[in-house]
Amino acid sequence: MMWKLVVYKEWLKIRWFLVGYTLLGILGVGYLLLTVKHDFAFSGGKNIWNSILFLGNQFFSPLKYVSLAGGLIIAIAQYFPETVNKRIKLSFHLPLGENKVLLMMHTFGAVSLLLSFVIIFGLFSGFCLIYFPVQMVIYSLITILPWVLAGFSAYFLGALIILEPHWMFRFYYSLVGGFFLTIFFVPAVTSAYSPANSGLFVLTAILSIALLFSAYRFRKGEM
Amino acid sequence: MEKVSRYLLVFIAILTLAIILPRLYWMAFEKPVRKPFILYSCINDDFMIHRISEKTWEDTKGQQYTREEYEQKLPMMFLKQLLASGTMPDSVNGVKLDMRDIAREKSFFRLKANEIDAPAPALYPLFESQSGRAMLDLPDDFFRITWRIEFIDAATNMVLEEKSQLFSATLFQYGFSFPAKTISGLATPRKSVDEGYLIVDAKDQLFHLKMIKGKPYVKTINVPEGLKFKYISCVDFKNKDFYAYLFSDKNEIYILTQGDYELIKWPVEGFDRSNSDLKIYGDLFNFTVVIESENQFKVIALDLDYQVVDTYTETRKLKEEQTEGKIFASLFPAQVSMTSDSSKFIRFYVSISKGLNWIIFNLLLMAFHFTLLFKRKVKLKNHLADLGIVAVSGIFGLIAIWIFPNKFFD
Repeated sequence: MMWKLVVYKEWLKIRWFLVGYTLLGILGVGYLLLTVKHDFAFSGGKNIWNSILFLGNQFFSPLKYVSLAGGLIIAIAQYFPETVNKRIKLSFHLPLGENKVLLMMHTFGAVSLLLSFVIIFGLFSGFCLIYFPVQMVIYSLITILPWVLAGFSAYFLGALIILEPHWMFRFYYSLVGGFFLTIFFVPAVTSAYSPANSGLFVLTAILSIALLFSAYRFRKGEM
Repeated sequence: MEKVSRYLLVFIAILTLAIILPRLYWMAFEKPVRKPFILYSCINDDFMIHRISEKTWEDTKGQQYTREEYEQKLPMMFLKQLLASGTMPDSVNGVKLDMRDIAREKSFFRLKANEIDAPAPALYPLFESQSGRAMLDLPDDFFRITWRIEFIDAATNMVLEEKSQLFSATLFQYGFSFPAKTISGLATPRKSVDEGYLIVDAKDQLFHLKMIKGKPYVKTINVPEGLKFKYISCVDFKNKDFYAYLFSDKNEIYILTQGDYELIKWPVEGFDRSNSDLKIYGDLFNFTVVIESENQFKVIALDLDYQVVDTYTETRKLKEEQTEGKIFASLFPAQVSMTSDSSKFIRFYVSISKGLNWIIFNLLLMAFHFTLLFKRKVKLKNHLADLGIVAVSGIFGLIAIWIFPNKFFD
């Protein structure tokens, strides 16, 4: 039962941010697909396909930082209120174990983000299949996947940085985190990330428990 | 659990620093490589070397030339300049020079290693080879080769079933084994004529496919037993002597002659498609093949029968052999990069520094950290793993363990 309360508390914090972000993401995808539709009507399908296949046109590039923004928004919405008056310490008094509570909160945030990404990029993939063959959509998704993983990494790193009690270390973490995130956004031709995506997935998974470190320092009063 | 999360963060920080710090180092200290421009001269039967940064023009024997003299030694390359200055010879080696012949035989081919190791396009356009039009039109449909060849209409995104069946059946009749390993062609309407695609099938057989009057044209090309082509680059030279340069799994270079489909192996050695850039200059008298790797510049001159006339090699110091490289190898145990000059793929390209100096530096850093710990009178057994991290990952590890400090209450 306790987990339901934790989930409800987290939902109250992030709901409007999550819904707002998802709606903005859907609008963004809608705009992108309107652009594709317009280009098909005015330039012709074969020219659009040719520009994507051979001229380096990445029509989906406006989505590049969408996930990153989502990860940061949810991290701030979920963890910044916890640092105001050290509210998170209340959660640590729940009869669950401190790390367990944190991981519940984190899992909820990550799953919410995942759902939002599934809606946004699912919609994108579905609409793309109207205009492009499955191979071209797969190539696009291979290119988009590191951007999505960057969204999760930004969320995990955001939580780490927000919960860190010491400003100097917040700066250090931001520096490392910022540089780390650049590896998801290296300019490259479409589907060039295919050999790297599994490694990036593992690195993102590794980051998922990063906040335990700064949360530990937070609750032990490392100021 | 907190300790595990710290070590994972330290790992992330080490990886990040191993990408960023070497990049910053090389941005600050890397020196540009001055590449010479070398061509074979049909006038004095020697290689002519233009060292662009030094502004010198010389031959392989060290004889220096003025710019004008140098250009006169390479009339096929500097044709326009020699015509403008009125120094173009009437004949070379007894061959009377005709401008149309020179233009027809002149060719240039360039292949970078990162073009070979690159994502292949998902679909290709098959042009009409005999449309009767002066200019080629981009077709309305694109093809892919999976268990069959499928043509997809770009306007509707639907498979053109009739065309797909016709071409699939024809390929099947010619013994094509689906799917294709490589599909090579000039997928652009900006070419003089269309010659379709050279396709290596699942059994390493080589086929020529094009579309003539809407119908498939397929030719099975005889490939010697055991020869496998890893990369094919089609060309559109004016003389129409050959369709493509073909690169075998053993780094041999072949050409495929036009019309009679003869595979001719060029006697060119020293090319490695994984790390060499290749340039081939063709003219009325010779082919000059330039193979450029990180530490070598090899130039081979061939005659028109594709026999070696002369070779010239220059070596240069590898980056790690230069002073900046040696300092790098002492400071940093490794370098990680997401990109490579030899590939268009994004990967974790890890290169461990050569030599043993970085190990000494790592141990010094470990001793430094040990001294700090000793002065702080902490329990050393709680920091053994950190000391090990510094010993292995050096400067990256030291910065990482300072950023994510090992301060846990027992």
